[in-house]
Amino acid sequence: MVLPPTAMLVVTLLTLPLATATLLFASGRQPRTLTLAAALLSTCAALALGLNVHLEGVSVHAIGGWEAPLGIHWQVTVPGAVMLLATAMVGLAGAVYGAGYFVHRPGPEGRMARVFMPLWLFAWGGLNALFVAADLFNLYVALEVLTLASVALVALSARRTALQAAMRYLLAALFGSVIYLLGVALLYGQYGILDLDGLTSKLDPKHPGSRAGAVALTIGLLTKAAIFPLHFWLPGAHGRAEPPVSALLSGLVVAAAFYLLLRLWFGPLAGLLTFGVGTLFGAIGAGALLWGGVLALMQRRLKMMVAYSTVSQFGFAMLVFPLALAADREPVVTGGTLLLANHALAKAALFLAAGSLVRASGSDRIDRLVGFTGSSRWAWIAVILAAAALIGVPPTLGFSAKWLLLQVAVAEGAWWWLGAMLGGTLLTFAYLGRLLERALLAPAPAPHPPKLKIALLLPALLLALLACVMGLWAFDVETFARLEPGP
Amino acid sequence: MHPAEALFDALLLLSMVVLAWQGVHARNMFRAVVSFMMFGLLTAVAWVRLEAPDIALAEAALGAGLTGALLLATLGRLKPERRGARLQRAAKLSMLPWLALGLAGTMTLLAVTLALPAPGLGERVLSAMPEAGVDSPVTAVLLNFRAWDTLLEIAVMLLAVIAIWSLGQDVLASTSRLPAPSLPALVRLLFPLLVLSTFYLLWRGGHGPGGAFPAGALLAAGLVLALLAGARVPERMTGAPLRCALAAGLLAFIIIAVGVMAEGGVFFAYPPRHAPMLIAIVEIAAGLSIGVMLTALFLGGEPTDTQGGST
Amino acid sequence: MSLPPGTLFLLASALLFAIGAHGLVTCRHLLRKVLALNVAMTGVFLLLVTLGRSGTTVDPVPHAMVLTGIVVALSTTAVALGLIVRLERRRP
Repeated sequence: MVLPPTAMLVVTLLTLPLATATLLFASGRQPRTLTLAAALLSTCAALALGLNVHLEGVSVHAIGGWEAPLGIHWQVTVPGAVMLLATAMVGLAGAVYGAGYFVHRPGPEGRMARVFMPLWLFAWGGLNALFVAADLFNLYVALEVLTLASVALVALSARRTALQAAMRYLLAALFGSVIYLLGVALLYGQYGILDLDGLTSKLDPKHPGSRAGAVALTIGLLTKAAIFPLHFWLPGAHGRAEPPVSALLSGLVVAAAFYLLLRLWFGPLAGLLTFGVGTLFGAIGAGALLWGGVLALMQRRLKMMVAYSTVSQFGFAMLVFPLALAADREPVVTGGTLLLANHALAKAALFLAAGSLVRASGSDRIDRLVGFTGSSRWAWIAVILAAAALIGVPPTLGFSAKWLLLQVAVAEGAWWWLGAMLGGTLLTFAYLGRLLERALLAPAPAPHPPKLKIALLLPALLLALLACVMGLWAFDVETFARLEPGP
Repeated sequence: MHPAEALFDALLLLSMVVLAWQGVHARNMFRAVVSFMMFGLLTAVAWVRLEAPDIALAEAALGAGLTGALLLATLGRLKPERRGARLQRAAKLSMLPWLALGLAGTMTLLAVTLALPAPGLGERVLSAMPEAGVDSPVTAVLLNFRAWDTLLEIAVMLLAVIAIWSLGQDVLASTSRLPAPSLPALVRLLFPLLVLSTFYLLWRGGHGPGGAFPAGALLAAGLVLALLAGARVPERMTGAPLRCALAAGLLAFIIIAVGVMAEGGVFFAYPPRHAPMLIAIVEIAAGLSIGVMLTALFLGGEPTDTQGGST
Repeated sequence: MSLPPGTLFLLASALLFAIGAHGLVTCRHLLRKVLALNVAMTGVFLLLVTLGRSGTTVDPVPHAMVLTGIVVALSTTAVALGLIVRLERRRP
């Protein structure tokens, strides 16, 4: 089989969602077939791209033929390709779910359906642009595309609580943007370039601009990634949005900001990752694990619990940084990326399934959820599978990720971080177990729960299954972890 | 630097800082907004002092003009700020540690920025200018070297329009007319001038300061002025035609970016023969759609809806 | 005076950034927060262009970045104002 060249696939992944979204907006209608076709095509492009990267390795593309530092580069790295794939899976699943979830009708009733699809595709395009970007300022613009699409998606229902959450999210995200841009300005002032590769070769930890720039970029991205204690905006935004929106936000939008942190700290800023910095990041991560976990345990509403679980899971991801103080960073980068991919699939599945369960139960309260009956059974199976992946039961993707990190921790004798990881896993087990126990063993009496459409069940089920079986796929760790294009 | 120039800069920047503080903290919200608008105007002057005429044009039209109009329209629709005097004093006290922190931050930032060598990319841009297809370096960066940024930025603007429209009908509405009886006459005089300047700036963008951004900003300023003076979006323009006009800029950008791949197979690589023409097309499309999108941002909702409400 | 050429502008940009960041944290009213954000953004823009001037030639790249930034800032501000109006609308 001959695959299209990577450059072609990248262009497709970036322009197809944007162009389709623009056309949908211009037409003002909601042709479901067109949207789903575009979503399917984007997914195929992402799959082909993943295969290309697997066969040919990483690649760099100069936009307009202008080499960096004058022009902008796209860089298809292996972690980037993994995130593109995860985006495609969640994007497709969400598009199908959205087609079944929202009322498609002309007039005010169909408003959400009309608005959802263009925004969804814009967010998808923004994510794709972010995962291939290799330029600090281009990343800023891509982040803004993502932010605006996400904020509009949070506000989709136009309920007061949703609007409040959207406003809070917007302010937090813009605060992050300002500080991020300050970091860009400082690094540009120091080195006069914006491309990540150039910065990697030029950056000297001793320069004042590099340190101040790194601090600013990091604070900006930590805010956007909702890392404890800058997570204040996340539970509201993710808990109050519509289910497919929560899936995208929790699974990918937050992960995109975190991916950038990884990209920067294992790329240009690698020289600045000292023991002190790593320990600080680790401490933040441990705090997030504990805080998010305990609050998830205390929630009474299903979606708020899942939202707090995101705070906690990203604490887990922060532990990557202290572990990377070891000589060999490759397994850590691999573990971190797999963790993000696993979280994207499992958390999206969990939110989609939660949305279906809430619809079937008519309530968001955990103690009022329908039990393991009728068509809700399939949603519960998706919840169980997603929970297994989040906890890290073998052979899920979550297990592979945690296993890699665990091995590094043991080899390094990093017992503190090992303890934090185990504690976090235990907390995850506790709050997800509590959900399953409450709902499966003591379900609320619901004589006739409404039958759920297949579009509300299949996407969640497939995403959860994917998170479970992907762990079986053996990864070639050495080629996988290479962030920069090889020689 | 001439001492008089230094004195001018010092006064300018001092007023900017004072107005910025006023813009955030003035007791009365209306005063805050007006201070912020004046701050925008002075910022435009600062851009002139920094030899950035393109930014000065865009700032005067956008930062001061359009943002100001938006803010005033918003203010007119809000509940008055509820904040007792006691609460205010308490807030003032709790501000002290923040102030100290802010000052420390400012000093650190200044110390760092003073130490930056700022090598910049000026030389590289200069040496690539012969192949850029335009004479103005800023336009070359925006529409050729870093055209992908500009494409995404137009996507951001379109997204903002979609986001505001998705919030429901008639958010800011065009009913927020200024109570100035002479405005319609003035606008009738100004509007053709502004449209003319838009095209002048678009044409000039190829060789001097100007180009899509200031031109779009100026067009929007003219359209918004017309709206303020009581003009309405013509009935036959609302709905699909307006949506298409809004989407046209981004679509044209994408089509050209992908279309040039037919020649060299590289995204956004204008073929040298056609580069000036293609860039001109992109520039006009971008400029016009920036103008229309900015106006749509000001409208704050789908105009079909406001029309239905007002007639 | 022996100050380096851009000192005043750098000082102003740092002050503006601080005023904006401070205002964003301390102000209660949403509209003030939005104004504070814009002030901070202007501080960053000033920094970028001032840095672009210190070389031998004027560097057009920061100019382009700031032009893009101004439009992005206006777009986000417009969305924020739209949300504020919906949240704090005066009862008719």
